Amino acid sequence: MTLKNQMDPINTAVIVKLEPDFSEGNVSYNPDGTLNRAETKNILGPHSAIAVSAAFYAKVKYGAKIAIGTMGPPMAESILQQAQLMSNADELYLYSDRIFAGADTLATAEVLKAGIQKMQKKIDIVFSGHRASDGETGQTGPQTAWKLGMTFLGHVIDYEINLESRTVRAKRLVRIQGVYDVVEEVESPLPVFIAIDPSYKPKFNTVSQRLDYEKYQKEAVKRAQDFKQYLKVFNAAQIEADPKFIGISGSPTIVYKVERIPKGKATRQAKVIDGSNKEQIREVVTRLLQALSTMAIK
Amino acid sequence: MEKYDVAIIGGGSAGLAALKQLSRLGKQAILFESGNKIGAKNISGGILYSKKPKKGKTYNVEDIYENFLQDAPFERKITKYILHATAKDKVFSIDLTAAHKYEANFGCSVLMNKLNQWFAQQAEEAAQKYGGGIVTGVHVRAIRWEDGHTIIQTDELEEVEVKAIIAADGVNSEIAYMTGARQKFSPSEIYQGVKVIVKLPDEIINQRFSIGPDEGSAHLFAGDVTLNHIGGGFLYTNRDTLSLGAVYHLDSLLETPNEPYELVNTLLKNPMISELVKDEVPVRCEIDRDAPKEEQMRIRFAVTKMIKTWAELRDSYYSKKEKERLVKEGKYGSPEEIGAQLSSLRDQMSTKYGIKFETDYVEVEYSAKTIPDGKRCRMEKPYFKNILFVGDAAGRGIFVGPRIEGINVGIDDAVRAANAVARALDKDNFTEKYLGEYYSRLIEDSPYTHDLKVIDKDYLEIFLGAVKEVPKEIISSKYGLVIKMMSSGTLRSFAVGVANILGYENLLPIIETVDTYVKIPTELAERLGKRMYASYAPTIPSIAQRIAKLKFNDDNISHIKVLTPTSEFMKKMITLCPTRCYFMEKEGVIIQHEGCIECGTCSEETDWKHPRGEKGINYQYG
Ligand SMILES: Cc1cc2nc3c(=O)[nH]c(=O)nc-3n(C[C@H](O)[C@H](O)[C@H](O)COP(=O)(O)OP(=O)(O)OC[C@H]3O[C@@H](n4cnc5c(N)ncnc54)[C@H](O)[C@@H]3O)c2cc1C
Ligand code: SF4
Repeated sequence: MTLKNQMDPINTAVIVKLEPDFSEGNVSYNPDGTLNRAETKNILGPHSAIAVSAAFYAKVKYGAKIAIGTMGPPMAESILQQAQLMSNADELYLYSDRIFAGADTLATAEVLKAGIQKMQKKIDIVFSGHRASDGETGQTGPQTAWKLGMTFLGHVIDYEINLESRTVRAKRLVRIQGVYDVVEEVESPLPVFIAIDPSYKPKFNTVSQRLDYEKYQKEAVKRAQDFKQYLKVFNAAQIEADPKFIGISGSPTIVYKVERIPKGKATRQAKVIDGSNKEQIREVVTRLLQALSTMAIK
Repeated sequence: MEKYDVAIIGGGSAGLAALKQLSRLGKQAILFESGNKIGAKNISGGILYSKKPKKGKTYNVEDIYENFLQDAPFERKITKYILHATAKDKVFSIDLTAAHKYEANFGCSVLMNKLNQWFAQQAEEAAQKYGGGIVTGVHVRAIRWEDGHTIIQTDELEEVEVKAIIAADGVNSEIAYMTGARQKFSPSEIYQGVKVIVKLPDEIINQRFSIGPDEGSAHLFAGDVTLNHIGGGFLYTNRDTLSLGAVYHLDSLLETPNEPYELVNTLLKNPMISELVKDEVPVRCEIDRDAPKEEQMRIRFAVTKMIKTWAELRDSYYSKKEKERLVKEGKYGSPEEIGAQLSSLRDQMSTKYGIKFETDYVEVEYSAKTIPDGKRCRMEKPYFKNILFVGDAAGRGIFVGPRIEGINVGIDDAVRAANAVARALDKDNFTEKYLGEYYSRLIEDSPYTHDLKVIDKDYLEIFLGAVKEVPKEIISSKYGLVIKMMSSGTLRSFAVGVANILGYENLLPIIETVDTYVKIPTELAERLGKRMYASYAPTIPSIAQRIAKLKFNDDNISHIKVLTPTSEFMKKMITLCPTRCYFMEKEGVIIQHEGCIECGTCSEETDWKHPRGEKGINYQYG
């Protein structure tokens, strides 16, 4: 018997978002260049999908339970189904109410907070995507964490759980002084809120993990077919969300207008070089070296 | 270290059958497959046979997967089997359905990707009961034996210990090479197969090939379409695709190299085949380059979406099952309504976006693989320590007449190997003597091994009989003996008798010659053939376009290393690699592994490995 079967299970929640499918062949635009929402398919957002895969990792490796929640219109139940198919989730929650409409990130975070608190189990880790693809700014995650009073770990590219000490060790991709890809390792007691980095990819290193993975995937297909059995739909009253903080009235910001960023004049001076000319290559290398030396971290 | 009873290496049809059989016997087994999912690396022609041999018993697909006939996603049961001799635009056809039916319960066309996934589902369900299962995306790198323990190393996972191994890792078996269980196959022992999948709606196939909804037809080609190589072409009907390919002796290709895709292109350009594959194809009109960028993009996306919708609806319209489904689900009131919607969509496409409809053909996948000729290269000793070799890995492909049998043979081998391993587990004895030699005996008993050793008189008679009506005087006298054999009853039975006295080894150089594969068919077609006309010239994709359509998961390191860059063999690979991975530099031949489809053609003079788990080619049809 492995440790994962003896200890108290880890309970995870994932917050996900419905997004338009921007891939060619599925997306439609209106003649004025705006998105034609009616004609465009909706899918589980790609960042949400990564968050779901991070929770699935905890299920395979630590036997964690997964609850997935989203705020959205009734049709958003289809993305909960998609998420369950990916993760063999144990519970699905849809927070749906007319008065949620027009919510900005803060008001969304309020609903998610209330929703997570209403979940059947006390949650040890909440996962969220890095951000959404359709005009969100990556604030919902941190704001929800703040409202829940959880430690927030952003840009997580890898994590392990210690079931005995009930702590998480996470690797975060951070940017220091303009240099990307510095990996910071942090340890935190549960509960934590993890915003998963787009580059995250779960790794399963043993045969038994891989077999569990397959087993859960298969079970997920069955569960997702009957996903309604796992689904609870809650309105504002049911999650006891404070009307002051939700929907349009709870939103300190509104999106007034989205404009394309005007193309700036190119400031770089591009020069075409001839790859077969050794002199020119040498010049490129010299320039690169110069540029690098000015960027060095002090 | 984790421990399991049995490891199966390779999740093609042979490995999967081994897993299923072991589970049937209540044994624990894990299967490693390097492809990112089952089926990603497997290709075939292919017709899967279920055999009823005159003597002995074969383990057929429906014996192992009891629900095969009801549930498996095979394509069509082949009911017509015709050989076409070609000479330019003339074709002379010979019905060989009797040869197809010979000793067979049935033969059905299959696509390996779909079929192997179904096999995997069945096998995995059974395997999980005993703590086993399938692990994909994992490439076995080495096997070591340490104080009586057998340890498997992979590129991806921690090591595991097992008691016995079934190597089902295909024609380019690394397990065989690294253990020294056998040499690499030489070019005289293998064929190179190249194939394209052509899309064609279900009911159009029925009409075009004059077959019922549950029937299928197979067409074989010999004559000038072979470009003077020993081998031939094939075209099999699938449910809503066609498999069109060419299979040639590698040594014949090495003698006068032709690009593999040229061999397929030659088939496509044959007027008879052009007509068989043709379809209605939408052609986009040029987008106005002066329009604003956003507008160009909007139109491009709209056109893509429209073509996709039209193509999907059309596929449903021409499929009885899909039509019924759409009506049953209430999406349409009647089949006619679907038809009406389809033509209205088509109108919109041309009026709104200027899309034109032309006659052409739709190619969706290009693939290639080598196939072992078991008459020449089957492993005499198909085991090493506690490893048993099955299927292509053991070199057990059967080529008799135009029929290729590999899938069914691999399944039969796998069952025998699983039986031997189960017996060893019961006695906890994995010595070569108790396991390997026993397996070897089981394999010797297989009717397939018999087929690989002895020529079947009755089968040969079918071929000679099929051409007995050909007036012999029309063929040049230089082929006199062969023609006489074909037409004279006494000589025919004499020939069959002599054949067995000579044995395969001596007979093959006489049968498998340019005369039989190319010259005689060409003459037959020239003299007796019907002239064929093509109503259009197919737009054949370039090799670059074909590669661009394939799905790869590129690895940054090459899985193949050239050993002697200046050898004649390697120089020929510049032409013979089906995806043009080789080219000449100052120092000799170098490889650019990114487009490699892992066919194995270049294996003889390279350090050849499969890519690491999940990497490399990822076929969608197979
Ligand atoms: C063009 C063509 C036409 C054919 N026509 C027919 C036909 O009509 N009828 C017929 O019966 N047969 C036909 N065959 C032959 C038939 O396709 C093969 O005999 C059969 O598919 C072989 O199955 P297999 O399981 O032995 O090997 P494969 O299908 O090659 O499977 C081997 C598997 O092992 C995996 N693997 C390899 N090395 C490793 C490793 N180190 N670690 C993990 N995994 C590994 C590979 O990824 C692969 O999936 C044809 C073949 C070709 C190419
Ligand atoms: S490089 Fe790859 S595709 Fe080319 S011949 Fe070798 S194995 Fe086949």
